[in-house]
Parts: sequence; structure tokens; C-alpha cells
Amino acid sequence: MKESLMDIIVCPVDKHDLELAVDEEEADEIVSGTLTCTECGETYPIEDGIPNLLPPDMRDEVEA
Amino acid sequence: MKGKEWYQADDVAQEYDDKRFSDGGRHIDRREKQAVLEALGPVDGQRVLEIACGTGRFTVMLAEHGADVVGLDISGAMLAQGREKARRAGVLDAVEFMRGDAARLPFPDDHFDAVFAMRFFHLADTPRAFLREMARVSKEIVFFDTFNRFSSRSVYNWLLPMGSRLYARFEVEDLLGDVGLHLVGEAHDFVLPYGLYREIPDEVAGHLREMDMGLRGSALGEKLASVSYWTASV
Repeated sequence: MKESLMDIIVCPVDKHDLELAVDEEEADEIVSGTLTCTECGETYPIEDGIPNLLPPDMRDEVEA
Repeated sequence: MKGKEWYQADDVAQEYDDKRFSDGGRHIDRREKQAVLEALGPVDGQRVLEIACGTGRFTVMLAEHGADVVGLDISGAMLAQGREKARRAGVLDAVEFMRGDAARLPFPDDHFDAVFAMRFFHLADTPRAFLREMARVSKEIVFFDTFNRFSSRSVYNWLLPMGSRLYARFEVEDLLGDVGLHLVGEAHDFVLPYGLYREIPDEVAGHLREMDMGLRGSALGEKLASVSYWTASV
């Protein structure tokens, strides 16, 4: 994902803003990192350039 | 393997486009892309969200047409294919893919000019909740397709690995009304079911498609169509 995506995305649960922590960056792509809700504190991982914004209850269910 | 797991397996994602949209399946792919472009109108500079984008067939196409697109799906394996497709097309700059739940979208109200979902509502267990959420994040267009209850799809459905929900016209109208959307456009196609196209080589499918369009042009055609495309406004 690109950092500009931060202007758009919100926490899927309470729709509050997210805070970005970058682990790995390539050119202007964020390859891995963590998104944290500024309200409820829930965290969402970024893996292989794709943020996983599945709500926590679904994340476990679909992880193969 | 159950439907949900099947959809998220790496090998299924890798072969997904080849299995569905090569040979006779090309006619389906072409018609669906036309439906999306017609419903959305000129997309240059528009913000578009695709729900259940899978391998990004439409996401990438819209980026090529100048849209600023987000593709959302439950499956990481499908999205990895989508990113690869966007990279090959040279449109990674205009596309973002993310995993998410269609019933709890990670976007603020009225953010997108258009929100759409193809091949999604037949798998939706709670269509009303999904449609309401699509309407929430769109400020103008909501577009989706359905498979029809009174059509060849009813027979074809028996053969499918995943359950598939069929809709009658009044059910679509009820759904739209319930979430405050207004129907502004519709199209109906494929008297013959998708499965038939997928099983045969391209040249035979071409003739089949001509016959199909002939049937659809007949008096009964619209009633017999197995697929409907619905365009609504907020």
C-alpha cells in the first residue's frame, strides 16, 4: 500500500482514524507494518503490501 | 473443501482466471466488463471501490481507464493475483488492494463516487447488510449483478460447489428500497448459463453467444435472462 491510503482508511469496527507504523518499505510502497486504531487500539497488519482490515473476529475465521 | 476455504487457497487463486475466463469464458468476461463501464460512465479521476474484487479483473481495467480504485476482498491469495495483474498492466500507482469485510468497510461515509460488486450477491448470506454498507460509502453510484431465480441458472445452480443465492426482481427492488437506493439502470443477459460457456472452445462459444443474444432479443428474452445488472443511485 501507499502512504496516501492513510487519508482514506479507517478502523472497520468503529470508523476512527488509524495510525501507521512501517516495518518495511520499498520505493513508495509500504510492504509490511501495522495499522492501529486511535480509538479502540485494535491492530491490523500490512503483509506483502496488502493491509488486512478484516475485523478481528473474521481474521481468525478465514486464516487458513 | 468448503466454499470459503476453497476461495482462499493459493492454487485456486492462481488458476482462477484461466479456469473461468479463457476459451468460452471470454464472452462472459467481455460482457461483464462492458456492464461495469456502462454503469459507472467515464471514470477518469473518479474514486471507485470494488467489493469482492477477487483477482482484480475490473479493478485493473478501471485503473487503466484513469480511475483511482480500491479493490477489497476477503482472500489474500486472490489479492496477490490482483497486485500482480496491476503490476503487469503498469497501474499499481492507481490501485490499492486490501483485505476486508464487505459488511464492515474500513472507509468513511460518502467517500467514493461509485461502489460496485460483481458475482458477489449470489454468495452473500446477508445481502441487505452488504448493500447498506455499499450505499454508506458511496456518494453516487452503487452497481451490482444478480443471478435470476426464474432462469437456466436455477438448474445450473445444482451443479455448483458453493451455495448460490438467486434473486427475483421484486427481491432486488425490496433490497434497494430498504437501504434507500434508487434504481436508475438495468440490463439482463445470458439466457444460457455461464457454465455452458466455460466448458466449450472459443469458436463454438461465439456461435452460442450469438444464439443467446438472439433469444434475449425475443419477447421472452428479458424474463429468461440468467444474469441481471443493476445500477442504483444514492
